[in-house]
Amino acid sequence: MSKADSLSQVIDFVRAARADKAAFEIVAGGTRRGVGRPLNDLPPLDVSGLSGILKYEPEELILTAAPATPLTEINAVLAEKNQRLGFDPADWSKLLKSNGVATLAGAASCDASGSGKLRHGGARDSLLGFQAVNGLGESFRGGSKVVKNVTGFDLPKLVCGAYGTLSVLTEMTFRVYPRPQHAAILCLADVTPEDGFAALRKIAHSALEPAGLAYLPAGMMAGVGQGAALIKLEGARQPLEEKIVLAHGLLGNAVRRVEDDPFPAIGSGEKFSDLAGDVWRVMIAPSDAPHVAKELNAQYWLGDWAGGVIWLAAAPAEAARIRRLAADVNGQAMLLRASPESRTLHGLYAPQPPALAALNRAVKAAFDPLSLFNPGRL
Amino acid sequence: MLLPPTDSKIVARRAEIVAALKEIVPDGVVADRSGLATFDSDALSAYHQMPLVCVLPSNREQVSAILNYAQAQGVPIVPRGAGTSLSGGALPREDGILIGMGRMKRIIEIDYENGCVVVEPGVTNLNITKAVEANGFYYAPDPSSQVACTIGGNVAENSGGLHCLKYGLTTNNLLGVTLVLPGGEIVTLGGKCGAQGGLDLLGLVTGSEGLLGVVVEVVVKILRKAPVTRTLLASFDSVPAAGACVAAVIADGVVPAAMEFMDRRAAGAIEAYNQPGYPADAEAILIIDADGVEADVAHAVSRVTDIVAQCGGKTVEATDEKQRARIWSGRKAAFAAMGRLAPDMLCMDGTIPRGALPYVLEEMAKLSQQYGLGFCNVFHAGDGNLHPLIVFDTMKPGEFERAEAFGADILRLCVKVGGVLTGEHGVGIEKRDLMTDMFSAEDLAQQGRVKCAFDTQGLFNPGKVFPTLSACIEQGHIHVHGAQLPHPHLPRF
Repeated sequence: MSKADSLSQVIDFVRAARADKAAFEIVAGGTRRGVGRPLNDLPPLDVSGLSGILKYEPEELILTAAPATPLTEINAVLAEKNQRLGFDPADWSKLLKSNGVATLAGAASCDASGSGKLRHGGARDSLLGFQAVNGLGESFRGGSKVVKNVTGFDLPKLVCGAYGTLSVLTEMTFRVYPRPQHAAILCLADVTPEDGFAALRKIAHSALEPAGLAYLPAGMMAGVGQGAALIKLEGARQPLEEKIVLAHGLLGNAVRRVEDDPFPAIGSGEKFSDLAGDVWRVMIAPSDAPHVAKELNAQYWLGDWAGGVIWLAAAPAEAARIRRLAADVNGQAMLLRASPESRTLHGLYAPQPPALAALNRAVKAAFDPLSLFNPGRL
Repeated sequence: MLLPPTDSKIVARRAEIVAALKEIVPDGVVADRSGLATFDSDALSAYHQMPLVCVLPSNREQVSAILNYAQAQGVPIVPRGAGTSLSGGALPREDGILIGMGRMKRIIEIDYENGCVVVEPGVTNLNITKAVEANGFYYAPDPSSQVACTIGGNVAENSGGLHCLKYGLTTNNLLGVTLVLPGGEIVTLGGKCGAQGGLDLLGLVTGSEGLLGVVVEVVVKILRKAPVTRTLLASFDSVPAAGACVAAVIADGVVPAAMEFMDRRAAGAIEAYNQPGYPADAEAILIIDADGVEADVAHAVSRVTDIVAQCGGKTVEATDEKQRARIWSGRKAAFAAMGRLAPDMLCMDGTIPRGALPYVLEEMAKLSQQYGLGFCNVFHAGDGNLHPLIVFDTMKPGEFERAEAFGADILRLCVKVGGVLTGEHGVGIEKRDLMTDMFSAEDLAQQGRVKCAFDTQGLFNPGKVFPTLSACIEQGHIHVHGAQLPHPHLPRF
């Protein structure tokens, strides 16, 4: 496997690939290779050597790291200073049965956020700047290393969720956040999806700044009757107690505090690891969640982000129906885990309207005119 | 600052272009000199230019038809919201159609269930909050011009405001936009589901300063008003001490809703203007808002009070809502109040790492001496976003040029310490020629190619943001050698 461990090696590799018009797959930890349209055995470029924290300034709440730095390493270093990444990066490796190591760039490039996305947004809301190599074999920078910047086009937004189709990242600078000292999980048990999601939206639109709002039906959680609305609140000890009291005020006394935190397994898709079938994430307006969940009619499903995303496992033959249901409510159905055949057939997302698809292609070409990087994956 | 040369062939066709636009928007074409004079500048008022013609569409179909016509005829387009840009983003062109979006000001839908509002671009920032505040909600980004500035302009500039430290800029508070592309095609980016099913073009378009298209509909997030907000006024007997206090608060992990700085000169002018009750003897003051649930706010207030004391400052807290409003009314009127210091002013907008505040504040004072021009500091300290106000008198020969040079040096200083040219006002024409101080030729060429992906003919807001004309013809094949910009033979405007 070709390897590039430095900016200059990435530049050399891309220039050579450009001369040969030879497309390739960008691989770091390798945990997300099974997501998106398969690349049909294109040769991989291993960038896992581009690893390590380059500059961490806790007093500025800024972290600069090489893209292939493992998330575990970053989380540990931030935790020492009571800080964390803002986008709750989700490690999908259990869901995708990968033995690899989830990396910073992998999570950001795949817009992989867990339940905590509610709090400070996705990777696009935290990535301040980056350095990368474009399809011309040139290194360039986008954004900056300060928290507030509108100078030039906001290219950091573009690289988040681009699945490595625009450039080979070589450095990333994130805004980081103070880590709350304590968390509490509240559970409203034995509620229907209608009532459960309504409770979650009530909390979402309160001033409680929740860090997790999920609904799990009976099949996904034992001992909660027909289903549970789960709420994660955070803060220093006293503010957290106050938030719990306020949550009771909003939802009544049926809300119970529980010990176990179910959110890591929800946000990472781990709840679906051992279930058969394709795994989907259907992103919708939160108020559509009860209706969409009912129409999807899946045996195994759950709703996160207060209903903004429905996860489900479904037979491959259901793909077209799921996409249609999402389109009916102006949502997006993302095929997260499926066989290569299914992924080839259905892609990561549904085809876009022609004008938007053309614009996406033009923007991709503005970075990578020969389509060398992960062609077709997104 | 120069704009690209006027295309006299387009100017010669003015009557024909006016007639064509009247076909599209019969009741919304401004072509007489006195009418056009209203639109000859934005809030960067040192620059004036009459547009070729101004058109005021009422719906997206008209916008689409105008852009289709403009592309077919090769006529430049300059989009405009309320014209409150401080960087000249809406400065017209003699050979360009100014498309004013002020008539499209309907609030289309208020959706409390999903915490969002769907609006047309001409709705003012403040009117979004006004539409939802009775139910306890608000729209978070609050630029000082929020009474007048439109949400379409906010999207174009990625506007910030006093409370971005905690709540982000426009880009962090949007769910979707509908955009009319050069040529007239209409695309929807994002929406209530918060996903786009492809590249994050919503993020790209936000803050693109009218270079990529015209926004005709916006979906914004609204937030629940915090149950408790407390406001502190901290005073210091030196500017660096206040700067060090800001850095210490951030380092402590407290995230105030707002943290504003002003120096003695600014505070004095504001006090004389609307008497918000700022201490007269302080060299620098900070206004700090903490919001959230009661205990969170109490925690933040006690931490901030301790840190201020450690930095040698004194804190007083607003005792009631009335006093809070008075303290903030002074800050919000800062620019108007500065009018008392000198006939003219330039407002700069760099952002720096917060730890560099004391150093940069001292260096700015040195530059002020060097240029022989006064300045004062009013800025969003929490996120390191400086707004030095340079005061001068245009009537004195050479002062305007000196003020511009002073401002440019401040921005270079910001870049030197690891910061940026603009934190929220945009590049426009004002900082265009400084882009090469922050970005390499490769960086700019990459952004230029992104521009070309939307606007192959380069008709959208030409002369803004980028210091050289970008060549779209050979997309992907712009060669750059060393630090040379592409096409060095092309005039810099």
